[in-house]
Amino acid sequence: MKLVILSFFFLFSLGASSAESAPCGNYGECDEFAPQLNNLESLQLGAVTFMNNCYGCHSLKYSRWNRIAKDLEIPEEIFASNLVYGQTVKLGDTMNGSMKKEVAETWFGISPPDLTLVTRLHGSDWVYTYLKTFYEDSSKPYGVNNMVYPGAAMPNVLASMQGQQILSCKQVPIIASNGGVKRDSSGNNITEEKCGYLKTIPGSGTLSTEEFDEVIYNLVNFMTYVGEPSRADRERIGWYVILFFIIFTSFAYLLFKEYQKDYH
Amino acid sequence: MSNQSSGIFNWVNDRLPIKNTYERHLSKHPVPKKVNFWYLFGALALVVLIIQIVSGIWLMFGYENTEEGAFASVEYIMRDVDYGWVVRYMHTTGASMFFAVVYLHMFRGLMYGSYHKPRELVWIFGMTIYLVMMAEGFLGYVLPYGQMSYWGAQVIISLFGAIPFIGESLELWVRGDYYISGATISRFFALHVVALPLILIALVFMHLVALHEVGAGNPEGVDIEKYVDEDGVPLDSVPFFPYKILNALVAIGIFGIVFSIIMFFFPEGGGYMLELANFEEANPLSTPDHIAPVWYYSPYYAMLRAIPDKLGGLIVMGAAIAILFVVPWLDRSKAASIRYKGNLSKIAMTIFVISWLMLAWLGTMPVTELRTTLSQIGTVIYFAFFLLMPVYTSIEKSRPVPERL
Repeated sequence: MKLVILSFFFLFSLGASSAESAPCGNYGECDEFAPQLNNLESLQLGAVTFMNNCYGCHSLKYSRWNRIAKDLEIPEEIFASNLVYGQTVKLGDTMNGSMKKEVAETWFGISPPDLTLVTRLHGSDWVYTYLKTFYEDSSKPYGVNNMVYPGAAMPNVLASMQGQQILSCKQVPIIASNGGVKRDSSGNNITEEKCGYLKTIPGSGTLSTEEFDEVIYNLVNFMTYVGEPSRADRERIGWYVILFFIIFTSFAYLLFKEYQKDYH
Repeated sequence: MSNQSSGIFNWVNDRLPIKNTYERHLSKHPVPKKVNFWYLFGALALVVLIIQIVSGIWLMFGYENTEEGAFASVEYIMRDVDYGWVVRYMHTTGASMFFAVVYLHMFRGLMYGSYHKPRELVWIFGMTIYLVMMAEGFLGYVLPYGQMSYWGAQVIISLFGAIPFIGESLELWVRGDYYISGATISRFFALHVVALPLILIALVFMHLVALHEVGAGNPEGVDIEKYVDEDGVPLDSVPFFPYKILNALVAIGIFGIVFSIIMFFFPEGGGYMLELANFEEANPLSTPDHIAPVWYYSPYYAMLRAIPDKLGGLIVMGAAIAILFVVPWLDRSKAASIRYKGNLSKIAMTIFVISWLMLAWLGTMPVTELRTTLSQIGTVIYFAFFLLMPVYTSIEKSRPVPERL
């Protein structure tokens, strides 16, 4: 019997070992992103970044203006005068974007996708990594390419903050087949040149790497919120429901034990 | 006042067998004294059915069954309807939990021989319920009209096209159009919310009536009807109310905890319950890289893909479900329960369970040559388990089943 089970585990491991493409394209594993949906300051800053840099091209068409104002606790007058674009917009409207589809197609080849659900579709990790991994590539129409999504039709909108990011090469130790680092006869590591590493040219952007990461963090935090505005509520209410069922189960169990005495 | 109301009750009861039905099916219904937790999944399946019906009705309030409006209406429910997200996640989690409890319920049946004489019809009604559930789940998955709804439907409906002679017309008839469109959505909607639920409820009713006629089984496979008291009540039984309903209440409580953990904290189930690709609206012009079914179809999807020929795959997949219906006649063992069956049955059951889990996992993964081979091995094991059952259950030696529970 044990042999049967073991041989199946062997089959499982064979099947699982086949190579899959990495979740973040040429970048490999995505950078981890842990949202803070109760951090209002982060969400508000993210909303500002989104409205100033993304909303010009991308809509959030399943979301409504005043829902965001309410959830992010931004007073409606301040919200309307600082974050809402368009004279005809009513706060109860959905956020349909400000770029016409036909115009967008002429400019970019495709119309920029709606971003309401992008963090649910690709995952917040993916979006977070994507936004940080643009690099200069003169062969592309906008002079930039992306590690996570090669050939992306999007220009690097945040380049002025991030600065110039390029692909560079560096010397890395060669790993032998046994998993150790290869060394020469005098004990020095043998290295080889590997390319495809992102490098930001210092001083070329208005923000430091850490500051830029924070801007992207807040932006993706906001986008995670927009993907599912009730998520913070869901995770809060969930505890009470579970607590209710724990109490319910305890009483049901005590009653069950009491009645079981009759026939045991 | 109490005289008056009992007067009204008696008046109705003389014309409608309320008391009789209540006593026969609930308060006095005899249930085996000793059963284990495996016997609680049937009750849980009934609970999930009710959850699905109630949450489904509420979803219908906001859902729009058109090509243009379907996807947006689901987001409308998620965002603009007060607690709409509760209703939707209840329904999506409920779908997965329905299959989870039904699979465990079916496995209980296989393990303890719940299909043995005289419970063959109970088993057949149960299998029909499972078949209808699979159709119901598929139709429901198409309704939000995301990418995976569209392409999943494309894959499944195109299977009809593989049937010789009538295939193409059948495909067109099912879809209601030359491609998946608003016509497909509105007919799937009607089938999902009216036709199949009606059939499902009728089948559940028959399943229960048949069960109550022959009585519930037990993990020992003991026939409790052999020893009865002067009223004809089995000695090894207790009435459902108030005794066995308490087992069900405890089970419902624990199930509620599991259900809430998934629904409130992992509603996507890691992409196996709500597939991430379905957060994008259906786009007929862009095929996703990897079309995978939700987890509860994956063992059968793995079998479908294991066969290189489309029609062959369809036949194998259909046969995999069909063979479950005849299990009562494949098992020749004198003992119903695995506890008293011989070693061959135990080994066969273990291999079957592991290979079924392997198929379930393979069905969710992208195809590679190795995985196709593994799926083929799994498919062979699946069929061997059933087709060889008459052989290994007759040659093995089962232990004598006790007289009393």
